[in-house]
Amino acid sequence: MSLPMYYFLAITAIYILMSWAIYLPYRVAHLHFLVVANMTISGYLAGYMVMTLHVPFAVALITGFILGGLIGYVVSIFIGDAPTFAVVIVGFTFIYITRTVIENTKAVGGTLGMFGLPSIGGSPTAHRWIILGILYFLVLLVGIIIHRFEHSRLGRAASAIFVKKELAVSFGVDVKKMGMLLQTFSSTIAGGCGVLYGFIYKSFHLDYFTFYLIGIFMTVIFVGGYRTMWGVVIAAPILYGLPLLFPPAIASWRIVIYGAILIAVLVLKPEGFITRQLVYNIEKKISGGKN
Amino acid sequence: MEIVVAQIINGLSLGSIYVLLVTGFNLLLLVAMIIHFSYPQVVVFSMYIAWFTMKLTNNSVILAIIAGILSAILLNLLSAPLFQKVMKKREGVDINTTMVLSLGIGMIITDILSHGFNKGLPIAFPKVMVGDKPIIELGLISVSNGQIYTLVVGIIAVSGLFWLLYKTRAGRAFRAIAEDPNGAKLVGLPIFRTALGSYAITGILGGVTALLLAFLLGTTSPGMGDQVANKVLAVSIIAGLGNLTGGLIVGLLLGILEALVQGFISGSWANAIAFVVMLVVILAKPRGLFGMKL
Repeated sequence: MSLPMYYFLAITAIYILMSWAIYLPYRVAHLHFLVVANMTISGYLAGYMVMTLHVPFAVALITGFILGGLIGYVVSIFIGDAPTFAVVIVGFTFIYITRTVIENTKAVGGTLGMFGLPSIGGSPTAHRWIILGILYFLVLLVGIIIHRFEHSRLGRAASAIFVKKELAVSFGVDVKKMGMLLQTFSSTIAGGCGVLYGFIYKSFHLDYFTFYLIGIFMTVIFVGGYRTMWGVVIAAPILYGLPLLFPPAIASWRIVIYGAILIAVLVLKPEGFITRQLVYNIEKKISGGKN
Repeated sequence: MEIVVAQIINGLSLGSIYVLLVTGFNLLLLVAMIIHFSYPQVVVFSMYIAWFTMKLTNNSVILAIIAGILSAILLNLLSAPLFQKVMKKREGVDINTTMVLSLGIGMIITDILSHGFNKGLPIAFPKVMVGDKPIIELGLISVSNGQIYTLVVGIIAVSGLFWLLYKTRAGRAFRAIAEDPNGAKLVGLPIFRTALGSYAITGILGGVTALLLAFLLGTTSPGMGDQVANKVLAVSIIAGLGNLTGGLIVGLLLGILEALVQGFISGSWANAIAFVVMLVVILAKPRGLFGMKL
């Protein structure tokens, strides 16, 4: 497999997983940008464990997931039912604090970053296949979990909270518990993604975890459609792949392109391209009109 | 003791900037009913326009001031139809969507500044604007012209805005819409035109803030907007969204806190400490200290 194809497949998987990590809490109207801080913290910790403590990659990856989930859980105790803007600002603030701590911590390379992470499986080829295998297994696993969630009582409760919080409460939905569940799950995904993101490039640098990541994930969610999980799956490869087809001079403006696409979709097609109705119609067709 | 006094003076100037930004942000929230998260990015963009104008006009401060203020007004007014369209599509006020739209605008502004000006490197304003030595020096205490401008203009601008809001007909219209949009519509207030007025006023405030930042700091970079945006939203939440008086108090306090910490700890850690304090307050009181006015 060529290197560009490897990067395309790997980064697309990261975009899908991370966009789902933001999509899930948004089901209860929370823009949970803490996930980018989770990515950074877990990623750097795993890098440190593998590089300095010589811990096996699998252990570092599992630690990344657990740490992400733990941070997500602790924070969700405070903001599980907070207003959207408070959740947003907590996420941004965490990102700033994380970046400052890493910038000033020499053990993880400070502003220079961590380079030269070992290949998993002994060779670069094995490394690529293992990373891709883990990533797409995760896409499948998380996809199934979200699909089951959407078709469960919990999914309907989340929809009720999104439409009107007060109404959901009057139906007996525990808004805080729902917020905590979704925030913790999305932080867990983000923790693992952070580890894998660094191991794709075999390095960790603060430039990998900038605010632009939030912009990219937001564009993926809102262009694909923020009311179903499938929008992300369609939008991620297209949005990541599109700038790769442009000449370098134009591709370097990809953030402007993403921003313009995001604004255009919000104005012209607010629900995104993959709407709930579209998914419902497709599911009906597949099941022969039994839905 | 001298360090503390010097840092309090620094803090008051910085706090005045936060107060201006939070006031503009809250005005847009109350009257136009949008969360314009990228409002500080508009301010940084105006700083770049002022710097660019100085480069083109052989360091003309007057033209830089005019260009800076006009660019902020123009950018704010240009974004108004986008916000209105998004809100109409959702048949009502949708703070989440306006915030996402604003994030998109912020992404574009920051990336344009990263690519289009000075090869993405930080810019420095010429000495004719920032001055080359402090106006007052008493031991460790030194006051620059930027600090004096910021304090004086900050007080005048915020007082002017409060006078406009509480002593004029236009201000009554703003407050009526903020209090009850449907009631205001019922008594015949032009909602869109008044909202447009708030975009223009916050544009002027943004332009003035940009110039004060240029006088005070003498430099800026594309990423500055992101950091300030975060602080402005944090101040606004800590104060209570839409609470103008709360924003004034918390904005000044944040400026003083940041400056005091900077006086004793190195720069980047000082910023982190300010963020930790903000985070703790938000986690403890997500709905603000002074109550939301939404």
